[in-house]
Amino acid sequence: MRRLLSNALAVLLSAATYAGSALAQEKKPASWWYENAAPENQQYLKDLLVKRFNEVSKDTVLSVDFRGAELDKQLRIAMLSGSGPDVVYTAGPSYVASMAQAGQLLPLDDYAAKHGWNDRILPVFLELGKYNGELYALPKTYETLGLFYNKTLFEKNGWTPPKTIAEFEALAEAMKAKNIVPFAAGNADWRPTNEHYVSIVLNSVAGPENVYKALNGEIPWTSQPFVKAVDTLNKWWQAGYFGPNYFSLTGEQAFAQIASETAGMAPTGTWNFTNVPKYFKQNNAEPGFVGFPSAEGVPYPIYALGIGSTFSIAANSKNPDGAAQVIDYVFSDKFYGDMNTVWQGEWNTPLRDLTKVKVGDAVLPLYTETMRNLADSVNKNQYGYTTWTFLPPATNTYLVSGIEELWLDKTTTAEFLAKLDATFQQEKAAGKVPAIPARQ
Amino acid sequence: MHRLYILPTLVINAVIILVPAMLTIALAFFQWDGISPPVFAGLNNFRALFDDSVFWSALANNVIWTAIFLIVPVAMGLLAATMLLLVNRGRTFFQIVYFLPVIIATAITARVWQGMIYSPVTGVFGLLQHTGLPLSNPLSQPSMALFGVATVDLWHWWGFLCVIFLAALRQVPQEQIEAARLEGATFWQMMRYVLLPGIRPTITLMMIMTVIWSFLVFDFVYILTQGGPAFSSEVLSTLAYRKAFYDLNVGQAAATSLVISVFGLIATYFYIRIQSREAEQ
Repeated sequence: MRRLLSNALAVLLSAATYAGSALAQEKKPASWWYENAAPENQQYLKDLLVKRFNEVSKDTVLSVDFRGAELDKQLRIAMLSGSGPDVVYTAGPSYVASMAQAGQLLPLDDYAAKHGWNDRILPVFLELGKYNGELYALPKTYETLGLFYNKTLFEKNGWTPPKTIAEFEALAEAMKAKNIVPFAAGNADWRPTNEHYVSIVLNSVAGPENVYKALNGEIPWTSQPFVKAVDTLNKWWQAGYFGPNYFSLTGEQAFAQIASETAGMAPTGTWNFTNVPKYFKQNNAEPGFVGFPSAEGVPYPIYALGIGSTFSIAANSKNPDGAAQVIDYVFSDKFYGDMNTVWQGEWNTPLRDLTKVKVGDAVLPLYTETMRNLADSVNKNQYGYTTWTFLPPATNTYLVSGIEELWLDKTTTAEFLAKLDATFQQEKAAGKVPAIPARQ
Repeated sequence: MHRLYILPTLVINAVIILVPAMLTIALAFFQWDGISPPVFAGLNNFRALFDDSVFWSALANNVIWTAIFLIVPVAMGLLAATMLLLVNRGRTFFQIVYFLPVIIATAITARVWQGMIYSPVTGVFGLLQHTGLPLSNPLSQPSMALFGVATVDLWHWWGFLCVIFLAALRQVPQEQIEAARLEGATFWQMMRYVLLPGIRPTITLMMIMTVIWSFLVFDFVYILTQGGPAFSSEVLSTLAYRKAFYDLNVGQAAATSLVISVFGLIATYFYIRIQSREAEQ
């Protein structure tokens, strides 16, 4: 009898194991190639995305492969040969148009309707991911440019954050008088840092309406508002606001200078929130962040929108439904809260309503407040345009080096803008300008 | 039958070198963003390239780079190798010291110079600035950036030439050196009349290779300045890379690569001519 029981138990156990493995086998794989990430951040992705997604998904098992800093090049070649991942992680909207044009991506409109993305995601970002009227990409994170400052230093000197360009320039001069470098800025590790400042003046001096017109080809980049904007930026450079070591400092070294009071303010992006706890705490200083001051006639504040990377689904994916589930999970309130609790500045997914999101108590209130203000501004269509998101590739790379030529007296504003415009018009004619959402 | 022995290398050569080379030549006549289907563009890529002032400044920088590397490391290598040949004491030690930078990875050498030597915040230059010396980071000045990068490459490269020259110098017949010594030749006379003529084929080969390598230079420039500031240290290979992977203009990148190849081909022609002359002798 005992033997019979043990045999029956063995049969039951093996049946259960078989059923389990059959279930596991039924789960289809979905792959995703991710870019460079620090080891601790890789672990956050494994724990908060891969592990949790695989626990809740009934039919898909996700794997993330970390491909390093050259991901976009690897991806382009893999997509050409049809051997890319299911979830396509592009370097930005300007790549999406070419990939969609080449038939490498799957339209996402049906998935957007099925998963309710149209209601959950800020409309401007849905528009930005469209090509020929169909949705092909969703942005992973969005960022903006503003002004970081050291509240402690400002209080000590009786300074207040500027709201106009005139106030901003007066403040920069006051800082110079006290031997404080006005801008914490450096491009030694990332030359495209230059375009952060160009984006700032295009939106806050020329104004987003003019940028919108230029992106749509209604006015050229040589128009007067852009001349004024670029002249203003050049004036700041020549006045020494960027300090003597702009080409020698890395972005992080430069940012650390506002905490240590070597520099006065940092006109930079929200991705620098990741450096705030590290440097402000050790200097016993309180951080501040405001929108960048605006010139006369331009509303304040203007938040220039930037997208670093986007999600799409490969046209030849064997598990497109699973890939859509992965993207859907990334756009959940839970994932936003979990990820932003441990890794700020990199996972600001464009959710329309952030009131339901729960972020950990340890997160800087300034960060959550800034992200809410940004989401509200975008929801109200009060936003500007970053060059790395809205300009086509060759125009953008010329802008990065061309502005250095202007700063270093190797060209003039008129020549710089003329070459920028010529490159832009060429790329526009070739259909390389990303989709520009209509301005309401 | 014995001709079949070359088949494996021929196949590898065709797959790894010939096919990509042919594709590059073909792509130079197409407009292609690396994603969509290529469109035939005739000579447009070359026209656009020749109209671009950055191309000419990059070419000029390659010529300056070649001139620097034909003179400075060759002279340093020859001088140090001759001294090592004539002085026995500590020869092995100095050979190791001179050769050490060659085996350090390029990226590490570049980052060390950028962060620990040139940087005004974390480098030796910064320390010297604090003592009142008017030193500034050469990589941050348009007039000095190319020379700043070349200095790093020289530091990494000249030891290799030194070791090659020393190996060649040791093949010079000892009797000739002894005879010159007995005749009372000075150091410079020994160099001019005995040692340099004795290793002339090695020097010629190294100089031809220097021309080829100088037009291929990429790593140090890309890591240290990415061609900046304001294109001041841009060379043809960084220009090609930028066009291919940032501008998404693979056609112009291929055209730039063909220009680089022309200089390599000229140098190779001279190399083969010299080789065949030596074989005849």
